[in-house]
Amino acid sequence: MIQIVIIFFVILTVLFLLFRLAPGDPVSRMVDPDMTPEDAELLISQLGLDQPLGVQYVYYLKNFFMGNFGNSFNYGEPVIKIIWDRLPNTILLFTTAIILSALAGIFLGKIASWHKGEKTDTVMTIGALVTHTVFLPWLGLILIWVFAYKLDWFPITGMISEDVWLDPDVSFLTKFLDVLHHMVLPLSTLFLIHFGSYLLIMRSSMLDTLKEDYILTAKAKGLKEKVIRNHHAAPNAALPVVTSVGLSLAFSINGGALTETIFTWPGIGRELVMSVSQNDYPLAQASFLLIAIVVLLSNLVVDILYAYLDPRIRY
Amino acid sequence: MALLEVDNLSIGYQTPKGFLEAVEGVSFSLEKGESLGFVGESGCGKTTIGMALMRLLPRNGSVKSGHILFEGKDLLKMSDEEMRLARWKKIAMIFQAAMNALNPVHRVDDQIAEAILAHDPTSSREDAKKQIEDLFQLVGVPKDRMRDYPHQYSGGMKQRAIIAMALACRPKLIIADEPTTALDVIVQHQILEETKNLQKEFKISIIYISHDISVVADVCNNIGVMYAGQLIEYGSRAEVFGSPAHPYTKALLSSYPTLTGEKDKLEPIPGEPPNLINPPSGCRFCDRCPSARASCKTESPAWVELTPTHSALCSCIR
Amino acid sequence: MSMEKPNKKRLNRSPWMARFLGGWAIYKQNLLGKIGLTLLAMFGLMALCSFIPPLVDPMYQPMIGVDPEISCSTGPSIRHWLGTDFMGRDILSQLLAGARVALMVGVSAAFMSIVLGTTIGMIAGYMGRFIDTLLMRLADMIMVMPTLLVVLILAALFGQLNIWTIVLIIALFRWPGVSRVIRAQTLSLKQRPFIEAAKVAGASHVRIIFRHIMPNVLPLAFLYMTFRVTSAIIIEAALAFLGFGDPSTVSWGMMLQWVWKTGHMFKAPYWLLPPGICISLITLSFYMLGRAMDEVLDPRLRDEEQAG
Repeated sequence: MIQIVIIFFVILTVLFLLFRLAPGDPVSRMVDPDMTPEDAELLISQLGLDQPLGVQYVYYLKNFFMGNFGNSFNYGEPVIKIIWDRLPNTILLFTTAIILSALAGIFLGKIASWHKGEKTDTVMTIGALVTHTVFLPWLGLILIWVFAYKLDWFPITGMISEDVWLDPDVSFLTKFLDVLHHMVLPLSTLFLIHFGSYLLIMRSSMLDTLKEDYILTAKAKGLKEKVIRNHHAAPNAALPVVTSVGLSLAFSINGGALTETIFTWPGIGRELVMSVSQNDYPLAQASFLLIAIVVLLSNLVVDILYAYLDPRIRY
Repeated sequence: MALLEVDNLSIGYQTPKGFLEAVEGVSFSLEKGESLGFVGESGCGKTTIGMALMRLLPRNGSVKSGHILFEGKDLLKMSDEEMRLARWKKIAMIFQAAMNALNPVHRVDDQIAEAILAHDPTSSREDAKKQIEDLFQLVGVPKDRMRDYPHQYSGGMKQRAIIAMALACRPKLIIADEPTTALDVIVQHQILEETKNLQKEFKISIIYISHDISVVADVCNNIGVMYAGQLIEYGSRAEVFGSPAHPYTKALLSSYPTLTGEKDKLEPIPGEPPNLINPPSGCRFCDRCPSARASCKTESPAWVELTPTHSALCSCIR
Repeated sequence: MSMEKPNKKRLNRSPWMARFLGGWAIYKQNLLGKIGLTLLAMFGLMALCSFIPPLVDPMYQPMIGVDPEISCSTGPSIRHWLGTDFMGRDILSQLLAGARVALMVGVSAAFMSIVLGTTIGMIAGYMGRFIDTLLMRLADMIMVMPTLLVVLILAALFGQLNIWTIVLIIALFRWPGVSRVIRAQTLSLKQRPFIEAAKVAGASHVRIIFRHIMPNVLPLAFLYMTFRVTSAIIIEAALAFLGFGDPSTVSWGMMLQWVWKTGHMFKAPYWLLPPGICISLITLSFYMLGRAMDEVLDPRLRDEEQAG
């Protein structure tokens, strides 16, 4: 736990240094060139940009904890408001995708291992291999092209349909379904890319687990095959998958940012990409920090989950 | 009718290098309440026999020929489902290296209850829990440890829990494969004593598999000595230890130290057992046998009956 | 001393060759490995061929070559086997050039991260204690970072990045994975008698690390290199796709960016499909290569196929 805090502080500090030391005028990075001189003066003193580096750092930390990231050049609004707005969208998409792909990977990997060498296994393994190695943005584009453009089953962009959400008479359920409808394609993209690796890990983990002594004991106890598979082998075999989810979180969030960008899903990842291309430094910095927090916290969650699932750690 | 009658059992494994004949032509019988010990070095086939009795041979293993009659029914001819129901209820097994025999993610009592409930659908969880309490008392594990996970147990406790689990369905026969190898001598002794008591109390037949003669000598009524897949001597404890007939048995006995008795020189047996992928015709022990004759290499030895209860597979006796 | 060295080198080489040939024999049996190698050979060929089209006619230049008669995206034709992009540039030449870039980026980044990761892993494992903890904490921190996004931030601060800078940054963020494995290997090797013997003989730490430990961890390092290649290629492609790649290099990711940003996504499948297929296939082939090599190096995986 403490580790996470330390890591975060290091990231915070490195970012601070980078922004101050990179070529160009650091002041222009934090202050919108379109601002009036008086506002600019105010902001500079608020952020301590006219002070020596050490003092600036203190200001920086203080501002961070107060949630003051300055104003976005593009939106003209406080950065904190923007990223706070975007956060739930990212969490919704990302968390759902990871959980679904992990569960699918565990379930299918278990089945693949049980049918090892047969057609079912070959199909699943090849499927996992292929989907896992497809280039994510390209997969997203293909999905849009086929399902949104050609077949018109899903919307091409965005998270919501304005006409649905702006209509005051529309029920919550309809709004919720609308979001889901928009979520299908981006979710599928993330899901397809990730479940393959979990499937392969679960499969090999099951094959290893099935060689264990306690499986032999279970068979000797005269238990049914299904019970041995699902009750004895799978819970043990699923543990490495959980670990793998944690290890690949950084990679997954890359994919998350790409997916949001392609599908115009209003999340933090997309915000980061856009703010970087538009030189909206305050927003870029804050988005990056928030993503870093998300990744670190997710790691923590996975660690806790693993400790909960494995009694050897819990007790 | 004997509880268990094994007739001319031959078992082999398909390996990349060829077909390995692990067990050849083994026959023995076991009465109710009796204990039989199988002794021999690693690779002699004793574990294979145990696994075959439960029909738990690995995928590349198969019974080539023979019958296993348990309470009159041939186990080898039973359907998979019938065998599954018979496992643990009729015959239970305690495996070699049982340190990992319990599933680490489930509590100990749940695993034992599972066995009970699988074979007696009429009993409830409460009944099962009560039975487990009694079993734990029997084997000497404190009741308050029932809800623990296996990794929280010491080695000796784990072994006792496993014995309790084996007794859970009151089987007629328990096959114990090297159950005490991983334990220190003191715990080993305790468990052996408890095993003997349990056997007397419940009239369970036990097949005890070990490479350690001293252990087998302690617990078993009858002894079977195995070498290179064959049963080479069979008799009561007194007969096999008192008057061993087969040269291998003699060599085996003299390679073990005795705590009391004279300080003789320990005599290891030189050489190695033959490769069972192409087992030699003739006596399989002759290369290492001190009393081998020229004919031993080509002629298969025959069973020689020394007493109605004591026989050995050797051409050089009498 | 100087007489010893040549002999030692020869002795060291023979067991290496023997191991390599032995490994090759096992590798050959693996279907996955063979497919992977074939695909890679195909990409290698593509990369080599990338020099040909511009020599045929300057209009086939992937970046600046424009067909004088075409100024929009057209489908496949005799002149342009895969058609042209929105500026009238030949797509096939771009595809071939992309192969060259992908292999270059992938292999360089992977190689650098392996060198870094192996060195750090060996030092951490061998030195132990404070240095070990320090290095591994550093590795942990870097591992948590999403590489792509880090490069994005750096692009924001330092402007458009040159391809080699991108390669370097990728390498700097991918070494932790390798170093963990190498460190574990080093830890187990450290206990072995031959290391003790070297210490007793008075070998310095540096000598022990590079002379004795390194040869034993190298096969593992190479295995992980194959995985690093795939992630390097993907990161570069993703960067280019988002528009942060090196504008003077034509990569597959860049091609996808063009097709996407110029709105030809739905109209030009001949332009949309090839780059994506290539990226995916090259990733797949390196992955297969890695899996096959895994089997060569880890006997347990081999036996599974035979005994089961």
